[in-house]
Amino acid sequence: MIDVQNLSKSYSGFRAVQNLNFKVDRGEIVGFLGPNGAGKSTTMKILSGYLPPTDGQVKVAGFDVVSESLEVRRRIGYMPENVPLYNDMRVNEFLRFRAKLKQVPGSRIKERLEAVKQLCALQDVDRKIIGTLSKGYRQRVALADALVHDPDLLILDEPTIGLDPHQIRAVRELIKDLGKKHTILLSTHILSEVEMTCNRVLIINRGRIEASDTPANLTKLVRGGGSLRVEVKADAKDAAAKLSAVADVEDVEVLLEKDWLQLRVFAKPGIDVRDGVYAVIKREGWDLRELARERATLEEAFVELTQD
Amino acid sequence: MAFWTLYRREAGSYFVSPIAYVVFFATALGVGAYFNFIFNYFNDYGIRQLTVLQASVNTFFFWLTLMVQIPVLTMRSFSEEFKLGTIEMLLTAPVREWEVVLAKFFGAFSFFITLWIPLFFNLLLLTAFSNPHVPLLWRPTLNTALLIVLVGAFYISIGIFTSVLTKNQIIAAILSFALIFLSFSMSFVSYLKVTAQTQNLLSYFSAIEQMDTYSKGIFDSRPVVFYLSGTVFLLLLTQRFLEARRLKS
Repeated sequence: MIDVQNLSKSYSGFRAVQNLNFKVDRGEIVGFLGPNGAGKSTTMKILSGYLPPTDGQVKVAGFDVVSESLEVRRRIGYMPENVPLYNDMRVNEFLRFRAKLKQVPGSRIKERLEAVKQLCALQDVDRKIIGTLSKGYRQRVALADALVHDPDLLILDEPTIGLDPHQIRAVRELIKDLGKKHTILLSTHILSEVEMTCNRVLIINRGRIEASDTPANLTKLVRGGGSLRVEVKADAKDAAAKLSAVADVEDVEVLLEKDWLQLRVFAKPGIDVRDGVYAVIKREGWDLRELARERATLEEAFVELTQD
Repeated sequence: MAFWTLYRREAGSYFVSPIAYVVFFATALGVGAYFNFIFNYFNDYGIRQLTVLQASVNTFFFWLTLMVQIPVLTMRSFSEEFKLGTIEMLLTAPVREWEVVLAKFFGAFSFFITLWIPLFFNLLLLTAFSNPHVPLLWRPTLNTALLIVLVGAFYISIGIFTSVLTKNQIIAAILSFALIFLSFSMSFVSYLKVTAQTQNLLSYFSAIEQMDTYSKGIFDSRPVVFYLSGTVFLLLLTQRFLEARRLKS
């Protein structure tokens, strides 16, 4: 669906995006992550045909975004970052205007309008003037606009920014639902959202792709992906030394040394060392209060991959 | 065609905007008051050399109205889209730049024509209710209307062009007023001490002289060519600037 090859984009000397390569297949929901200024929005603007690439080739649904821009724009629904809308129009009027602009056949406009209003829960405000709507409703109007021509590909630039938790949950459900029919590329800073909705994550930093994998695999990559949290009654130095000796343990870190000793045991990626650790504790006769496996979050993966 | 959809939105936005009605009211009031003043003046002093129409459109007041109202009409056309960011949404829909430019132009043009209806409405009233009867002179009236439309189209294209240069409406308005005034001030050059040749050449561009000719009922094809080609040129320039702005931003 999306095929990006060696994409670079410079703004008067500053390289916003450098040599980006990635593919998105039909039916995927891909989360596009990265710190502010990493080049996410720029890449999305290029994909939607708004900005031309400085270098490289970008194809959407087999069409080149520069030379066949109209074909590309017919097939995508793009929701820009800060939801620019015509404030003087009514919701119905605006959606009808956008549907016509996006060449929805006249006979289907009514049906499509009803469908997107239903999807985005806009029925209550469809006669209101957009300028008077709250942030959450504006966001949904923009989403309805992106969906109105039933595009193959949805490009959503921070669709949940500025929404309250209920609305975020609603949008998340909506995206999951839409993912059954559409290919979606969405950018966000809310990592839990990506973990819950996306099949794949692209992490971009300073204009380069740092990682591209499923959320689950990404968290495995991170140091501490399979770390253990141990709380025992023992001498800190002694315990650290003895636990480090267990097979496949890479490192032991003392977290807290009080009445009880808290430790974190890092194993080699993908290996379970709980048995070995427990065997040592039993052999030494330490009192044990906690032995738990900790999962790295996507947040940790994100921080690790994008830190300087 | 995306053009019609865009045109309807553009023209529609003029007719729902309060500023447009302020401009409409000001123009109708000004033109009407001036028309009334000339009519009474002609009656009181028994002036017969000029028609009321000639007197209405061959004054600096008329030109000033035109030069002020057009920047106000066109200043927001692109500037506002840039400021609100809606241009991004507009240009990621399957539309071509020239369709957007033409829609903006014809939207403003339609409202401009609406603005000048009162002048001709006044003439109709004059014909209908005057005693002794004042005939409606068709040729001068139609010629004058044609020239207003032509000059209006040219000035609107200047306004649209300046609005694509900046996201600040005020700057767009001042810039377009300056350019419109510059093009209008060709009329003044004949008052300066220049050679007869220069004077002759510049008189082709003089809006004042053109209006003098047209309001007498004499048709001249040169202004038609001048204003139409000028309008097309500026709209093409606007389209190129819109593309360039998108390509570099």
